Amino acid sequence: MAYVATRGGERAIDQSERLYRADLGEIDAQRVTAIRQSLPWLIDRVMGEASLYEPDLAALALAQSGGDLYEAVLLLRAWRTTQPRLAIAEPVRQEDLFTVRRISAAFKDIPGGQILGPTLDYSHRLLATGVLEGQPFVPTPVEPAARPAPARQPSLAAWQKSVGLVADVPAAPVAPDDIPDLTREPLLFPAKRAHTLQSLARADTGGVLALGYSAMRGYGNAHPTVNELRLAEAELKVRHPRGTIFSGGRVKVSQAEVTNKGKSGKLDLGFCATLGWNEVKVIAGATLDLNAPGAPKNSAVNEEFFLYHTEPVEASGFCIHFKLPHYVTFQSSLDALRDAKAKQAAPAAPAVLQRQEEPA
Amino acid sequence: MSDEMTGVISAGMPPHAHLLNTLARADDGLLKGFAEGVLPLLGEIEVVQSRTGLVMLPLRDTVASTDFHLGEVLVAEAHIRLKDRPIEGYGMVIGRDLERAMAMAVIDAAAMAGTDEERLGHFIATQATRIRAADEERLRAVEATRVEMETF
Repeated sequence: MAYVATRGGERAIDQSERLYRADLGEIDAQRVTAIRQSLPWLIDRVMGEASLYEPDLAALALAQSGGDLYEAVLLLRAWRTTQPRLAIAEPVRQEDLFTVRRISAAFKDIPGGQILGPTLDYSHRLLATGVLEGQPFVPTPVEPAARPAPARQPSLAAWQKSVGLVADVPAAPVAPDDIPDLTREPLLFPAKRAHTLQSLARADTGGVLALGYSAMRGYGNAHPTVNELRLAEAELKVRHPRGTIFSGGRVKVSQAEVTNKGKSGKLDLGFCATLGWNEVKVIAGATLDLNAPGAPKNSAVNEEFFLYHTEPVEASGFCIHFKLPHYVTFQSSLDALRDAKAKQAAPAAPAVLQRQEEPA
Repeated sequence: MSDEMTGVISAGMPPHAHLLNTLARADDGLLKGFAEGVLPLLGEIEVVQSRTGLVMLPLRDTVASTDFHLGEVLVAEAHIRLKDRPIEGYGMVIGRDLERAMAMAVIDAAAMAGTDEERLGHFIATQATRIRAADEERLRAVEATRVEMETF
Protein backbone atom coordinates (compact mmCIF):
# COMPACT_ATOMS: atom_id res chain seq x y z
CA MET A 1 0.00 0.00 0.00
CA ALA A 2 1.45 3.33 -0.90
CA TYR A 3 0.26 6.87 -0.80
CA VAL A 4 1.49 9.60 -3.04
CA ALA A 5 1.91 13.20 -2.02
CA THR A 6 -0.23 15.49 -4.10
CA ARG A 7 -0.36 19.26 -4.37
CA GLY A 8 -3.20 21.61 -4.99
CA GLY A 9 -6.81 21.60 -3.96
CA GLU A 10 -6.38 23.53 -0.71
CA ARG A 11 -9.32 25.78 -1.46
CA ALA A 12 -11.53 22.85 -2.47
CA ILE A 13 -10.57 20.98 0.70
CA ASP A 14 -11.39 23.99 2.84
CA GLN A 15 -14.71 24.51 1.10
CA SER A 16 -15.62 20.83 1.31
CA GLU A 17 -15.23 20.91 5.09
CA ARG A 18 -17.31 24.08 5.20
CA LEU A 19 -20.00 22.40 3.09
CA TYR A 20 -20.05 19.36 5.39
CA ARG A 21 -20.39 21.54 8.48
CA ALA A 22 -22.90 23.88 6.86
CA ASP A 23 -25.14 20.89 6.12
CA LEU A 24 -25.06 20.00 9.83
CA GLY A 25 -25.86 23.53 10.88
CA GLU A 26 -25.08 25.30 14.12
CA ILE A 27 -24.19 23.12 17.08
CA ASP A 28 -24.87 24.53 20.51
CA ALA A 29 -25.15 23.19 24.05
CA GLN A 30 -28.91 22.82 23.70
CA ARG A 31 -28.54 20.53 20.70
CA VAL A 32 -25.96 18.42 22.51
CA THR A 33 -28.22 18.12 25.55
CA ALA A 34 -31.14 17.09 23.33
CA ILE A 35 -29.04 14.35 21.73
CA ARG A 36 -27.83 13.09 25.11
CA GLN A 37 -31.32 12.99 26.57
CA SER A 38 -33.14 11.55 23.59
CA LEU A 39 -30.66 8.94 22.36
CA PRO A 40 -29.26 7.20 25.46
CA TRP A 41 -28.78 3.83 23.76
CA LEU A 42 -26.82 5.40 20.93
CA ILE A 43 -24.75 7.40 23.41
CA ASP A 44 -23.98 4.14 25.22
CA ARG A 45 -22.91 2.47 21.99
CA VAL A 46 -20.55 5.31 21.10
CA MET A 47 -19.08 5.43 24.60
CA GLY A 48 -18.51 1.68 24.61
CA GLU A 49 -16.74 1.66 21.25
CA ALA A 50 -14.77 4.79 22.08
CA SER A 51 -13.83 3.22 25.41
CA LEU A 52 -14.54 6.53 27.10
CA TYR A 53 -17.48 7.09 29.44
CA GLU A 54 -18.74 10.67 29.23
CA PRO A 55 -22.29 11.09 27.90
CA ASP A 56 -21.97 14.82 27.14
CA LEU A 57 -18.85 14.32 25.05
CA ALA A 58 -20.42 11.36 23.26
CA ALA A 59 -23.44 13.54 22.44
CA LEU A 60 -21.15 16.31 21.20
CA ALA A 61 -19.25 13.81 19.03
CA LEU A 62 -22.55 12.65 17.52
CA ALA A 63 -23.61 16.24 16.88
CA GLN A 64 -20.31 17.08 15.19
CA SER A 65 -20.35 13.95 13.07
CA GLY A 66 -24.01 14.22 12.15
CA GLY A 67 -24.57 10.73 13.53
CA ASP A 68 -21.72 9.02 11.65
CA LEU A 69 -20.87 6.52 14.37
CA TYR A 70 -17.32 5.78 13.23
CA GLU A 71 -16.54 9.46 13.00
CA ALA A 72 -17.99 10.00 16.48
CA VAL A 73 -15.95 7.13 17.93
CA LEU A 74 -12.82 8.51 16.27
CA LEU A 75 -13.47 11.98 17.72
CA LEU A 76 -13.90 10.57 21.20
CA ARG A 77 -10.87 8.30 21.02
CA ALA A 78 -8.76 11.20 19.78
CA TRP A 79 -10.03 13.46 22.57
CA ARG A 80 -9.28 10.73 25.10
CA THR A 81 -5.59 10.99 24.27
CA THR A 82 -5.57 14.60 25.52
CA GLN A 83 -6.40 13.50 29.05
CA PRO A 84 -4.03 12.16 31.69
CA ARG A 85 -4.85 8.87 33.35
CA LEU A 86 -5.30 9.67 37.02
CA ALA A 87 -5.96 6.23 38.42
CA ILE A 88 -7.09 2.67 37.88
CA ALA A 89 -10.29 1.91 39.77
CA GLU A 90 -10.95 -1.16 41.88
CA PRO A 91 -12.13 -4.06 39.69
CA VAL A 92 -15.90 -4.30 39.41
CA ARG A 93 -17.31 -7.62 40.55
CA GLN A 94 -20.59 -8.90 39.21
CA GLU A 95 -22.15 -9.27 42.65
CA ASP A 96 -21.53 -5.55 43.37
CA LEU A 97 -23.41 -4.26 40.33
CA PHE A 98 -26.51 -2.11 40.85
CA THR A 99 -28.60 -4.35 38.63
CA VAL A 100 -31.70 -3.26 36.72
CA ARG A 101 -32.07 -6.15 34.28
CA ARG A 102 -31.04 -9.78 34.65
CA ILE A 103 -32.39 -12.66 32.65
CA SER A 104 -31.41 -16.17 31.71
CA ALA A 105 -32.61 -18.12 28.68
CA ALA A 106 -30.87 -21.30 29.82
CA PHE A 107 -32.21 -21.60 33.38
CA LYS A 108 -35.76 -20.71 34.33
CA ASP A 109 -35.32 -20.53 38.09
CA ILE A 110 -32.07 -18.73 38.73
CA PRO A 111 -30.96 -17.67 42.20
CA GLY A 112 -32.36 -14.18 42.71
CA GLY A 113 -35.01 -14.62 40.03
CA GLN A 114 -35.43 -13.03 36.63
CA ILE A 115 -35.97 -9.29 36.24
CA LEU A 116 -36.86 -7.99 32.81
CA GLY A 117 -35.87 -4.38 33.52
CA PRO A 118 -36.11 -1.79 30.73
CA THR A 119 -36.67 -3.69 27.46
CA LEU A 120 -38.75 -3.85 24.29
CA ASP A 121 -38.14 -7.58 23.90
CA TYR A 122 -41.80 -8.48 24.26
CA SER A 123 -43.34 -5.37 22.69
CA HIS A 124 -45.04 -4.68 19.39
CA ARG A 125 -42.76 -2.56 17.25
CA LEU A 126 -45.16 0.13 16.12
CA LEU A 127 -44.06 3.46 14.76
CA ALA A 128 -45.88 6.26 16.59
CA THR A 129 -46.81 8.17 13.45
CA GLY A 130 -49.27 10.25 15.42
CA VAL A 131 -46.31 12.22 16.74
CA LEU A 132 -45.87 13.67 13.25
CA GLU A 133 -49.48 14.78 13.33
CA GLY A 134 -49.14 16.66 16.58
CA GLN A 135 -50.03 13.91 19.05
CA PRO A 136 -47.07 13.58 21.43
CA PHE A 137 -46.12 10.07 22.47
CA VAL A 138 -46.39 10.08 26.24
CA PRO A 139 -45.06 6.89 27.85
CA THR A 140 -47.28 5.18 30.39
CA PRO A 141 -45.60 5.35 33.79
CA VAL A 142 -44.40 2.19 35.54
CA GLU A 143 -46.56 0.94 38.37
CA PRO A 144 -43.84 0.45 40.97
CA ALA A 145 -43.80 -2.61 43.20
CA ALA A 146 -44.50 -2.19 46.88
CA ARG A 147 -40.96 -3.12 47.78
CA PRO A 148 -37.77 -2.50 45.85
CA ALA A 149 -35.78 -5.16 44.02
CA PRO A 150 -32.48 -6.07 45.64
CA ALA A 151 -29.85 -3.71 44.26
CA ARG A 152 -27.41 -6.55 43.91
CA GLN A 153 -28.10 -9.90 42.29
CA PRO A 154 -26.12 -13.10 42.79
CA SER A 155 -23.86 -14.42 40.06
CA LEU A 156 -25.38 -17.31 38.11
CA ALA A 157 -21.94 -18.50 37.00
CA ALA A 158 -20.80 -18.61 40.63
CA TRP A 159 -23.76 -20.84 41.48
CA GLN A 160 -23.04 -23.06 38.45
CA LYS A 161 -19.44 -23.38 39.57
CA SER A 162 -20.50 -24.26 43.10
CA VAL A 163 -22.68 -27.14 41.87
CA GLY A 164 -20.11 -28.42 39.39
CA LEU A 165 -21.94 -27.42 36.19
CA VAL A 166 -19.13 -25.11 35.11
CA ALA A 167 -15.39 -25.43 35.61
CA ASP A 168 -14.26 -23.19 38.42
CA VAL A 169 -11.25 -21.03 37.59
CA PRO A 170 -10.16 -19.27 40.76
CA ALA A 171 -9.22 -15.61 40.42
CA ALA A 172 -5.47 -15.02 40.26
CA PRO A 173 -4.71 -11.82 42.15
CA VAL A 174 -3.47 -9.09 39.81
CA ALA A 175 -2.70 -5.55 40.94
CA PRO A 176 -4.80 -3.04 38.97
CA ASP A 177 -1.60 -1.51 37.55
CA ASP A 178 -0.59 -4.91 36.17
CA ILE A 179 -3.78 -5.68 34.27
CA PRO A 180 -2.78 -5.99 30.59
CA ASP A 181 -3.86 -2.81 28.79
CA LEU A 182 -4.43 -2.63 25.04
CA THR A 183 -4.19 1.16 25.05
CA ARG A 184 -0.56 0.87 26.08
CA GLU A 185 0.62 -2.38 24.53
CA PRO A 186 -0.01 -4.17 21.25
CA LEU A 187 -2.51 -6.95 20.69
CA LEU A 188 -0.48 -10.13 20.10
CA PHE A 189 -1.64 -13.69 19.47
CA PRO A 190 -2.44 -15.93 21.16
CA ALA A 191 -4.03 -13.01 23.04
CA LYS A 192 -4.07 -12.71 26.79
CA ARG A 193 -7.62 -13.14 28.02
CA ALA A 194 -7.54 -9.63 29.48
CA HIS A 195 -6.67 -8.31 26.01
CA THR A 196 -9.40 -10.34 24.35
CA LEU A 197 -12.08 -9.07 26.70
CA GLN A 198 -10.84 -5.46 26.59
CA SER A 199 -10.77 -5.62 22.81
CA LEU A 200 -14.34 -6.99 22.67
CA ALA A 201 -15.47 -4.32 25.15
CA ARG A 202 -14.41 -1.58 22.70
CA ALA A 203 -15.23 -3.47 19.52
CA ASP A 204 -17.55 -2.31 16.78
CA THR A 205 -21.10 -3.42 17.56
CA GLY A 206 -21.96 -4.14 13.93
CA GLY A 207 -18.77 -6.10 13.35
CA VAL A 208 -19.19 -8.19 16.48
CA LEU A 209 -22.81 -8.84 15.53
CA ALA A 210 -21.93 -9.92 11.98
CA LEU A 211 -19.25 -12.36 13.08
CA GLY A 212 -21.16 -13.55 16.15
CA TYR A 213 -24.26 -14.03 14.01
CA SER A 214 -22.32 -16.20 11.59
CA ALA A 215 -21.37 -18.43 14.52
CA MET A 216 -24.98 -18.53 15.73
CA ARG A 217 -26.15 -19.59 12.26
CA GLY A 218 -23.84 -22.56 12.22
CA TYR A 219 -20.49 -21.34 10.93
CA GLY A 220 -19.08 -21.65 14.44
CA ASN A 221 -18.65 -24.76 16.55
CA ALA A 222 -20.94 -23.90 19.47
CA HIS A 223 -24.53 -22.68 19.44
CA PRO A 224 -25.13 -20.13 22.19
CA THR A 225 -27.87 -19.93 24.78
CA VAL A 226 -27.90 -16.86 27.02
CA ASN A 227 -26.78 -18.05 30.42
CA GLU A 228 -27.10 -14.61 31.98
CA LEU A 229 -27.63 -11.14 30.55
CA ARG A 230 -27.26 -8.20 32.85
CA LEU A 231 -27.71 -4.44 32.55
CA ALA A 232 -26.40 -2.57 35.54
CA GLU A 233 -24.53 0.36 36.98
CA ALA A 234 -21.04 -0.07 38.41
CA GLU A 235 -19.46 2.03 41.13
CA LEU A 236 -16.25 3.78 40.12
CA LYS A 237 -14.25 2.96 43.24
CA VAL A 238 -11.16 5.14 43.59
CA ARG A 239 -8.65 5.86 46.32
CA HIS A 240 -8.57 9.08 48.36
CA PRO A 241 -5.03 10.39 49.08
CA ARG A 242 -5.53 9.28 52.69
CA GLY A 243 -6.24 5.72 51.49
CA THR A 244 -10.03 5.61 51.79
CA ILE A 245 -11.70 3.73 48.94
CA PHE A 246 -14.84 5.54 47.81
CA SER A 247 -17.20 5.71 44.86
CA GLY A 248 -16.99 8.72 42.56
CA GLY A 249 -20.34 7.76 41.03
CA ARG A 250 -21.81 5.03 38.84
CA VAL A 251 -21.48 4.15 35.16
CA LYS A 252 -23.73 1.95 33.05
CA VAL A 253 -22.35 -1.46 32.08
CA SER A 254 -23.71 -4.53 30.33
CA GLN A 255 -22.46 -8.07 30.38
CA ALA A 256 -23.47 -11.45 29.03
CA GLU A 257 -22.51 -15.07 29.40
CA VAL A 258 -23.58 -17.55 26.75
CA THR A 259 -23.38 -21.29 27.25
CA ASN A 260 -23.13 -24.55 25.41
CA LYS A 261 -22.61 -28.14 26.46
CA GLY A 262 -18.88 -28.75 26.51
CA LYS A 263 -16.97 -31.91 25.68
CA SER A 264 -15.78 -32.32 29.26
CA GLY A 265 -19.29 -33.03 30.56
CA LYS A 266 -19.61 -29.51 31.90
CA LEU A 267 -21.09 -26.35 30.44
CA ASP A 268 -18.78 -24.07 28.51
CA LEU A 269 -19.29 -20.32 28.95
CA GLY A 270 -18.39 -17.34 26.79
CA PHE A 271 -18.24 -13.85 28.25
CA CYS A 272 -18.38 -10.26 27.06
CA ALA A 273 -18.98 -6.92 28.77
CA THR A 274 -18.91 -3.30 27.70
CA LEU A 275 -19.39 0.23 28.96
CA GLY A 276 -22.98 1.38 28.52
CA TRP A 277 -26.01 -0.73 27.76
CA ASN A 278 -25.62 -2.71 24.55
CA GLU A 279 -27.19 -6.17 24.62
CA VAL A 280 -26.53 -7.11 21.01
CA LYS A 281 -22.83 -6.52 21.39
CA VAL A 282 -22.35 -8.47 24.60
CA ILE A 283 -24.39 -11.47 23.43
CA ALA A 284 -22.59 -11.58 20.07
CA GLY A 285 -19.22 -10.95 21.76
CA ALA A 286 -19.81 -13.72 24.30
CA THR A 287 -20.72 -16.04 21.40
CA LEU A 288 -17.37 -15.30 19.76
CA ASP A 289 -15.60 -15.91 23.08
CA LEU A 290 -17.45 -19.23 23.46
CA ASN A 291 -16.48 -20.34 19.97
CA ALA A 292 -12.88 -19.16 20.00
CA PRO A 293 -11.10 -22.10 21.71
CA GLY A 294 -9.78 -24.41 18.99
CA ALA A 295 -11.36 -22.42 16.15
CA PRO A 296 -9.76 -22.98 12.73
CA LYS A 297 -7.35 -20.25 11.64
CA ASN A 298 -9.01 -17.58 9.48
CA SER A 299 -12.51 -18.65 10.45
CA ALA A 300 -14.83 -15.93 11.71
CA VAL A 301 -14.66 -17.33 15.24
CA ASN A 302 -10.87 -17.48 15.30
CA GLU A 303 -9.77 -14.96 17.91
CA GLU A 304 -7.18 -13.29 15.70
CA PHE A 305 -9.76 -12.93 12.94
CA PHE A 306 -12.56 -11.41 14.98
CA LEU A 307 -10.43 -9.17 17.17
CA TYR A 308 -8.60 -7.67 14.20
CA HIS A 309 -11.77 -7.16 12.19
CA THR A 310 -13.99 -5.62 14.85
CA GLU A 311 -11.71 -2.77 15.93
CA PRO A 312 -13.88 0.14 14.76
CA VAL A 313 -11.33 2.90 14.31
CA GLU A 314 -8.81 0.74 12.47
CA ALA A 315 -11.44 -0.99 10.35
CA SER A 316 -13.30 2.16 9.33
CA GLY A 317 -10.04 4.04 8.85
CA PHE A 318 -8.69 1.33 6.60
CA CYS A 319 -11.89 1.27 4.59
CA ILE A 320 -12.14 4.99 4.01
CA HIS A 321 -8.43 5.46 3.38
CA PHE A 322 -9.06 3.96 -0.05
CA LYS A 323 -10.58 7.30 -0.99
CA LEU A 324 -7.20 8.96 -0.62
CA PRO A 325 -4.88 9.29 -3.63
CA HIS A 326 -3.43 5.94 -4.66
CA TYR A 327 -2.15 7.22 -7.98
CA VAL A 328 1.21 5.47 -7.81
CA THR A 329 -0.17 2.07 -6.86
CA PHE A 330 -3.04 2.33 -9.29
CA GLN A 331 -0.71 3.54 -12.01
CA SER A 332 1.34 0.40 -11.52
CA SER A 333 -1.85 -1.66 -11.85
CA LEU A 334 -2.67 0.17 -15.05
CA ASP A 335 0.85 -0.42 -16.33
CA ALA A 336 0.49 -4.12 -15.56
CA LEU A 337 -2.88 -4.19 -17.30
CA ARG A 338 -1.53 -2.47 -20.40
CA ASP A 339 1.49 -4.73 -20.38
CA ALA A 340 -0.76 -7.80 -20.19
CA LYS A 341 -2.87 -6.49 -23.06
CA ALA A 342 0.23 -5.82 -25.10
CA LYS A 343 1.48 -9.34 -24.40
CA GLN A 344 -1.91 -10.74 -25.38
CA ALA A 345 -1.68 -8.92 -28.66
CA ALA A 346 1.98 -9.64 -29.19
CA PRO A 347 1.92 -13.41 -30.05
CA ALA A 348 -0.21 -12.78 -33.11
CA ALA A 349 2.43 -10.63 -34.71
CA PRO A 350 5.27 -13.17 -34.67
CA ALA A 351 2.88 -15.84 -35.98
CA VAL A 352 1.98 -13.64 -38.89
CA LEU A 353 5.59 -12.88 -39.41
CA GLN A 354 6.38 -16.56 -39.23
CA ARG A 355 3.71 -17.38 -41.75
CA GLN A 356 4.99 -14.62 -43.92
CA GLU A 357 8.42 -16.05 -43.60
CA GLU A 358 7.33 -19.62 -44.27
CA PRO A 359 7.10 -19.34 -48.06
CA ALA A 360 10.68 -18.47 -48.12
CA MET B 1 -20.07 -2.47 51.93
CA SER B 2 -23.03 -1.39 49.83
CA ASP B 3 -26.44 -1.12 51.39
CA GLU B 4 -28.17 -4.42 50.57
CA MET B 5 -31.33 -2.73 49.41
CA THR B 6 -30.22 0.34 47.56
CA GLY B 7 -26.58 -0.22 46.77
CA VAL B 8 -25.68 3.05 48.48
CA ILE B 9 -22.41 2.46 50.21
CA SER B 10 -23.03 3.30 53.83
CA ALA B 11 -23.76 0.47 56.23
CA GLY B 12 -20.58 -0.70 57.87
CA MET B 13 -18.45 1.73 55.89
CA PRO B 14 -15.92 3.93 57.63
CA PRO B 15 -17.40 7.41 58.12
CA HIS B 16 -14.91 8.92 55.68
CA ALA B 17 -15.97 6.58 52.86
CA HIS B 18 -19.63 7.27 53.64
CA LEU B 19 -18.93 11.01 53.54
CA LEU B 20 -17.15 10.78 50.17
CA ASN B 21 -19.71 8.41 48.60
CA THR B 22 -22.48 10.74 49.61
CA LEU B 23 -20.73 13.88 48.41
CA ALA B 24 -19.98 12.29 45.03
CA ARG B 25 -23.70 11.73 44.43
CA ALA B 26 -25.07 14.75 46.26
CA ASP B 27 -27.48 17.20 44.62
CA ASP B 28 -25.36 19.48 42.44
CA GLY B 29 -26.75 22.84 43.50
CA LEU B 30 -26.87 22.00 47.19
CA LEU B 31 -23.35 20.58 47.14
CA LYS B 32 -21.87 23.70 45.60
CA GLY B 33 -23.97 25.94 47.85
CA PHE B 34 -22.80 24.13 50.98
CA ALA B 35 -19.17 24.33 49.88
CA GLU B 36 -19.46 28.07 49.27
CA GLY B 37 -20.82 28.42 52.79
CA VAL B 38 -17.94 26.62 54.54
CA LEU B 39 -15.17 27.95 52.30
CA PRO B 40 -14.68 31.24 54.20
CA LEU B 41 -14.39 29.29 57.46
CA LEU B 42 -11.40 27.28 56.24
CA GLY B 43 -8.99 30.18 55.81
CA GLU B 44 -6.53 30.31 52.96
CA ILE B 45 -6.33 27.21 50.82
CA GLU B 46 -3.80 25.97 48.30
CA VAL B 47 -5.08 24.18 45.22
CA VAL B 48 -2.84 21.16 44.66
CA GLN B 49 -4.85 19.85 41.70
CA SER B 50 -7.94 20.88 39.77
CA ARG B 51 -8.24 18.97 36.52
CA THR B 52 -10.10 16.45 34.44
CA GLY B 53 -8.59 13.09 33.66
CA LEU B 54 -9.30 9.43 33.13
CA VAL B 55 -9.86 6.54 35.47
CA MET B 56 -9.54 3.10 33.94
CA LEU B 57 -12.33 0.79 35.06
CA PRO B 58 -11.46 -2.92 35.33
CA LEU B 59 -14.11 -5.63 35.57
CA ARG B 60 -13.79 -9.25 36.64
CA ASP B 61 -14.82 -11.77 33.98
CA THR B 62 -17.28 -14.27 35.45
CA VAL B 63 -16.00 -17.19 33.35
CA ALA B 64 -12.25 -17.31 33.99
CA SER B 65 -12.10 -14.71 36.80
CA THR B 66 -9.82 -12.51 34.72
CA ASP B 67 -9.63 -8.82 35.57
CA PHE B 68 -9.69 -6.77 32.37
CA HIS B 69 -10.14 -3.14 31.40
CA LEU B 70 -13.68 -2.26 30.41
CA GLY B 71 -12.80 1.29 29.39
CA GLU B 72 -11.99 4.69 30.81
CA VAL B 73 -14.24 7.07 32.68
CA LEU B 74 -13.78 10.83 32.52
CA VAL B 75 -13.60 12.34 35.99
CA ALA B 76 -13.06 15.75 37.54
CA GLU B 77 -10.53 15.84 40.35
CA ALA B 78 -9.77 18.48 42.99
CA HIS B 79 -7.12 18.34 45.69
CA ILE B 80 -6.66 21.18 48.16
CA ARG B 81 -4.57 21.88 51.24
CA LEU B 82 -5.25 24.30 54.07
CA LYS B 83 -2.38 26.75 54.47
CA ASP B 84 -2.43 27.08 58.23
CA ARG B 85 -3.23 23.46 59.15
CA PRO B 86 -2.00 20.05 57.94
CA ILE B 87 -5.35 19.25 56.41
CA GLU B 88 -6.12 18.18 52.87
CA GLY B 89 -9.39 17.85 51.01
CA TYR B 90 -10.03 15.70 47.96
CA GLY B 91 -12.83 15.28 45.51
CA MET B 92 -13.32 13.07 42.47
CA VAL B 93 -16.58 12.81 40.58
CA ILE B 94 -17.60 11.27 37.27
CA GLY B 95 -17.90 13.90 34.55
CA ARG B 96 -16.23 17.19 33.66
CA ASP B 97 -17.56 19.45 36.39
CA LEU B 98 -14.48 20.87 38.11
CA GLU B 99 -16.60 23.04 40.39
CA ARG B 100 -18.38 19.97 41.66
CA ALA B 101 -15.09 18.19 42.41
CA MET B 102 -13.80 21.33 44.14
CA ALA B 103 -16.95 21.59 46.23
CA MET B 104 -16.44 17.99 47.31
CA ALA B 105 -12.80 18.69 48.23
CA VAL B 106 -13.77 21.78 50.23
CA ILE B 107 -16.39 19.85 52.21
CA ASP B 108 -13.95 16.96 52.73
CA ALA B 109 -11.41 19.42 54.16
CA ALA B 110 -14.10 21.03 56.31
CA ALA B 111 -15.03 17.62 57.71
CA MET B 112 -11.38 16.90 58.51
CA ALA B 113 -11.02 20.28 60.17
CA GLY B 114 -14.21 19.81 62.21
CA THR B 115 -15.65 22.98 60.68
CA ASP B 116 -19.36 23.55 61.06
CA GLU B 117 -19.78 19.94 62.14
CA GLU B 118 -23.45 20.01 63.00
CA ARG B 119 -24.55 21.54 59.72
CA LEU B 120 -22.20 19.22 57.80
CA GLY B 121 -23.59 16.17 59.57
CA HIS B 122 -27.11 17.26 58.69
CA PHE B 123 -26.14 17.90 55.07
CA ILE B 124 -24.60 14.44 54.70
CA ALA B 125 -27.55 12.73 56.40
CA THR B 126 -30.02 14.60 54.20
CA GLN B 127 -28.15 13.80 51.01
CA ALA B 128 -27.70 10.13 51.96
CA THR B 129 -31.44 9.89 52.53
CA ARG B 130 -32.14 11.55 49.17
CA ILE B 131 -29.78 9.15 47.37
CA ARG B 132 -31.32 6.12 49.09
CA ALA B 133 -34.80 7.34 48.17
CA ALA B 134 -33.82 7.79 44.50
CA ASP B 135 -32.30 4.32 44.38
CA GLU B 136 -35.30 2.82 46.11
CA GLU B 137 -37.69 4.46 43.67
CA ARG B 138 -35.69 3.05 40.77
CA LEU B 139 -35.58 -0.41 42.32
CA ARG B 140 -39.32 -0.44 42.98
CA ALA B 141 -39.81 0.18 39.25
CA VAL B 142 -37.30 -2.58 38.51
CA GLU B 143 -39.06 -4.98 40.88
CA ALA B 144 -42.28 -4.41 38.94
CA THR B 145 -40.59 -6.20 36.01
CA ARG B 146 -39.82 -9.38 37.97
CA VAL B 147 -41.13 -12.35 35.99
CA GLU B 148 -42.03 -15.89 36.96
CA MET B 149 -41.35 -18.04 33.92
CA GLU B 150 -43.55 -21.04 33.27
CA THR B 151 -42.87 -23.89 30.90
CA PHE B 152 -45.43 -26.22 29.40
